[in-house]
Amino acid sequence: MSKEEFHNVLTGAVTGCHEDVEQILELYMPLIDKHSYVNGRLDEDLKQYLMIHIALQIGKFPI
Amino acid sequence: MNHQQESERDELRARFTGWLEVTLYRAKLNYLKKQERERNTLYVGMLPEELLVEENLEQKWVHRLTEQKGFDFEQEKLEKAFQYLTQQRQQILTLLFVEEKTPEEIAGQLGCSKQNVYKQRSQALAALRNMLEKGGEGNE
Repeated sequence: MSKEEFHNVLTGAVTGCHEDVEQILELYMPLIDKHSYVNGRLDEDLKQYLMIHIALQIGKFPI
Repeated sequence: MNHQQESERDELRARFTGWLEVTLYRAKLNYLKKQERERNTLYVGMLPEELLVEENLEQKWVHRLTEQKGFDFEQEKLEKAFQYLTQQRQQILTLLFVEEKTPEEIAGQLGCSKQNVYKQRSQALAALRNMLEKGGEGNE
């Protein structure tokens, strides 16, 4: 994803576009996965929680 | 100018990644704290039935948790008392408290009325309580 594309997607996600939020989640999936490990095990519930949390909080990111 | 714009967008991506790292870290901490709180919560449904009909519920439960000997003893006494109940009452109590079926379901399964299930339940609990109290007096 080019810098310009990223800028557009992030702006869309912050303003509430669902497809853009999905794209951001996809783009940052490795980071979400990294935070979803508890005691060396992938916690699927935690992963789900984090994804929902991002979707709800992304609107607060100051562009 | 173009170079400056690109640098700004790079900065935006870096800023977002940093923000996301912090957000994820805090969310994970909250999630784990919530999990821990739930693990330490004892719900009423998890308490043994015979404790619910007694007074000083909290004190007795804490006592049983701390006094391992007493806890085992009570369980054994309850098991013995349970054996003295009729087959039907044993079945009703098992269906109610172990399989967590409703009185309507049990009535349908056993082919009796709902009122009979309630009646058998209260009589069985009263009989258990009676036997436990007598057993307690006998041992003291």
